[in-house]
Order: sequence, then structure tokens, then C-alpha cells
Amino acid sequence: MMSFALFKATLKKNWLLLFIFFGVLFMYAAVIISMFNPDDIAQLISMLDAVPEDMLKAFGLTTAITNMTTYLASWLYGLLMTSLPMVYSIILANRLVAKAVDNGSMAYLLSTPNSRAKIIITQGLYALLSLAILSAALFGTGVAMCEAMFPGLLDIYAYLKLNVTTMLANIAVMMTAFFFSCLFNETRLSLGFGSGVPIAFLLMTMLGNTSDQVKILKDLSIYGWYDPVKVVEGSNVLGLDLVYTGIIAVLFIAGVLIFKRKRLPL
Amino acid sequence: MIEVKDLTLTYPSGKGIFDVSFTVRQGEIMGYLGPNGAGKTTTIRALMGFMYPDRGTASINGLDCWSKATEIQRFLGYIPGEIAFPDGMSGDEFLKLMHDMRGTKDTKLQNRLLEMFELDPKGKIKRFSKGMKQKLGIVAAFMHDPQVLVLDEPTSGLDPLMQNRFVDLVLSEKQRGKTILMSSHIFEEVEKTCDNVLIIKEGRIVVHSDVQTLKASQRKGYVIRTKEAGAMVQALQAAGFEAGIVTEDAVEVFIIAQDADRFIKTISGFTIMDLDVKSQTLEEVFMQFYSREGER
Repeated sequence: MMSFALFKATLKKNWLLLFIFFGVLFMYAAVIISMFNPDDIAQLISMLDAVPEDMLKAFGLTTAITNMTTYLASWLYGLLMTSLPMVYSIILANRLVAKAVDNGSMAYLLSTPNSRAKIIITQGLYALLSLAILSAALFGTGVAMCEAMFPGLLDIYAYLKLNVTTMLANIAVMMTAFFFSCLFNETRLSLGFGSGVPIAFLLMTMLGNTSDQVKILKDLSIYGWYDPVKVVEGSNVLGLDLVYTGIIAVLFIAGVLIFKRKRLPL
Repeated sequence: MIEVKDLTLTYPSGKGIFDVSFTVRQGEIMGYLGPNGAGKTTTIRALMGFMYPDRGTASINGLDCWSKATEIQRFLGYIPGEIAFPDGMSGDEFLKLMHDMRGTKDTKLQNRLLEMFELDPKGKIKRFSKGMKQKLGIVAAFMHDPQVLVLDEPTSGLDPLMQNRFVDLVLSEKQRGKTILMSSHIFEEVEKTCDNVLIIKEGRIVVHSDVQTLKASQRKGYVIRTKEAGAMVQALQAAGFEAGIVTEDAVEVFIIAQDADRFIKTISGFTIMDLDVKSQTLEEVFMQFYSREGER
């Protein structure tokens, strides 16, 4: 099913990229958590009075902050926890397949007794697992920081639920970029579509948040199917998690099948 | 054994290869020649299973090159025409990755090859010279002792000494019964190693010949410097040679090997100041051969 030798080589080449994104997101999380002021949320909100409300909405910020968990759902998961992993996905997905085809080094992987499917599954699993590890690490360190600074204020179960859904949305986007990476033989096209589509989703969500008139944009975006604040406030996301899982599976399988059947200019 | 039958593989541009058929028997080295863009690499893409053909079949040891590509790789060694290694790797790491992905462990042959080509695989491949990269590609293609080898311009970038080492390597592999298809631009290399030669032009095989025949019909050019250029040309042309005046005191003449004696005797009466072999590229040699084949 997968090549451990290739997985190891892929990990060795790409762990630094993952680590950098973890570092940046960890830093944001630390700053945002430490800014939380349980005694005077109103003061925090008043800081935002100067900013137009539509702009706040676009960035996923809600003014109805009532506790630590909603605060993080809004400030951290409103935009940062999707946009930065998206950039990571765009870079990684292109590297894993299309770049190796474009520069010709895929010829060496295919000149070993490993099928095309096995090679793509290995690369795809790395993409998937690396995002899962990123999410798990951010969840773990986030909970630890909250407990250290504000013991007992975070609803860990609700926070976990939000993390799982966000992770699945991010992996679905990763698989979108990965699919284009399998589809195209040129980095130019793989990167173009692999970044264009996710960025369009993100902008559609941001725009759709600003007003009900353009809410349709949000509904069409893969990021727009859940509201982080509502997730932590108790809305049921099990069905949505399954939808994301289905999208991930379909895109992964489609990527493998296309790569298996196409002509490679190696 | 490599068997290609009526293989047609076209690109959207209309280029490609058309009805290519040939067989490379076990223990045979087949040279694959032709101008750039003629279809050598396209044929190799089909053999490696990188591209499926429009029509026809390609098989190696009885396995179809497209549907059984993975199985074939177990006993196949390959040198790409334009070698590109995975980025960010050192030479050691690359060879280790190749071993791991092939599931081979024995590094005895690898070490012997590294020694033979005087290659130190330490350090980032990115910093390697062209020649070092080519050597690394050779080591990677031979180190698992494959039965069949597909080599696309295997010595490009190597200096003459290393080209000779490569010829030795190929000949010793042939002794051990390997089946080899090799595309090349270097005449000496083909002459020393190959049993038979295929020439492809514009996607079609135009010549399928053994190397001896090719060599025998190889036309050599000479430039002779003499004060009696005009008279010499007349004498040569009268004797049936293709001759002409290059400059005032230089004559150019083309002969084939079996006419050497007659050529020397024809010009023996003239005062010759200098005699030079006119160097010809492999392409010129083969294209002359090709055009004569066409006349027959």
C-alpha cells in the first residue's frame, strides 16, 4: 500500500516546512491566549469598536465573546487556523507530486519496483498525516497554554470538536491541492490551480461572512460550512465531519487513479 | 529480451514514433541512434511504462511495459536521458533510497561501481558537476545487477577516460548475458559495444543493421594539401571518387574503407604537403549511411 522508504525520504525533506508552520501558528496561539482577559471581556471588545463591523466579520471575529472557548473559536479559528494551513497545503501538495514530475526526478521513483499508485498513496498519506500532526500539536499546546494561564476556563471537549472539524476542512483543502498536483505535469499549472481554488474558497468565506446578501458565497466554499463559534457553542458537526471525510477520500482516490493512468513526460 | 512491435506513440503536437518494431535478444547490445527529437526518448518512455502507446506493444522478458511496469523494474536498470535527482539529497542518501525502494541491501556492487568511476557520493547532489551526476546515475542503474538495461545517452558529460570505463562495464555486463538497449551520440562507444544498431529518423526506424556492415560502409573524409589541386581532383574524379577543391591548395575527398588502397595509388604520383582526416560527427556518418540505404 505504501513505501516506507519513500515516506522516510519525504519526511526528511519536508519536516522543516511543517515545523515552520507549527512555529508560526503556535506563536499566534500563545499571543491570542495570553491576551484573553476573563475579568473584562468588554474592554477587549471596545478595542474593536474602531474597526468596521463588516471587516470584523470577514476575519471571522465575533463581538459576542462570552468565554475563553468562544474567544479562541473566533480569534484563532476564524481565519488563522485555516489560512496558514492552506498556505502549507499549497506548498506541500505541489512539492509531493507535480514538482517531481516537472523536474524529472519522478523517473527515479518509478524506476524502482513500486507502482505509481503506491508512490502517490505514500505522498498523499504524508500530506494527510502531516496536517493531522500539525492539528494535534496545536490542540495539545493550546490546551496546555490555556490550562497554565487560565486554569479551568477552556471547555476542552468543545475545543476538541472544533479542532477536529477544522482539521478535516484543512485536509480537504490539502487534498484539493494534492489532486491538482497529481493531475498536472507542470508545476505552473499544479500551483496555479492548487493555490487558486483554495484561495478562492477562503475569499468566498470572508466575503460571505460580511453580509447575508452574499451568504451564497460562503455556502459554496469548503471553509464556509461551519461557524467556529457555533461549533463550540454546541452545534452538531458530526454530519459535516463525515462530509469532509468523504471529500478527502474522493479527492485522494481520484488523484491516485488519474496519476496511475496518465502519460508522464519523464 | 526486449520486444517492440508496431509501436506508435504520438503527442498532441503530431510528433512521436510510428510503427517502431525491433527485438533485443538476451546477451545483445542494441545501439539506438538518431538526431535529436527523432523519437529515441519516446521509445524509452514506452519501455519504462511512463507512457502508454497508441498502438502496438512493447514488452520486456515477456511482460507488457505499460501494464506490468512495476514488475519489470525488479530486473531493469535505467539511465534517464536528462538525469534529475530528487532535490535536497546527498549522493549517499539517493543511493540508499534506491536500495530501500528496491528492497535490495547488498552494497558490494555499488561500492565496486563507485570505485570504478572514482565517484565519492558524499555531499549534496546539487553541488555535483555534470559528470559526477552522470556517474551517480550509472551507479544507480547497475548497482542492483539488473538483467536488462535501458540506457539513454549514458555517457553524456563523462570525460574520455570515464567513457572508456563505461565501455568496459557494458562489455563485461554483456559477457554476463545482459540485454542492453543504449542510445548514444558517440561513434566509438557504439562501435566498441553494440552488436546491432537501430537508426530512427522522424519517428520511424530507417536502418536496422549490424555494426560491422555500418563500419564497413562508413565513409571517411580526407583533406589533402597539394600544389596541383586541380589535377588531383581530376585524377580522383576519373577514378570514381567524390572529390572537390576546398581552397586553392586543398582537396577534399570521401572514400569508404575498401577503397583505401585504390585511393592511395591514385594520388601516389602527386606531391602531397599534408594529409588530414576530416572529422565527422556520428550524425553525419549515420546520415550518409542512411541516405545511401535509401538509394538502394
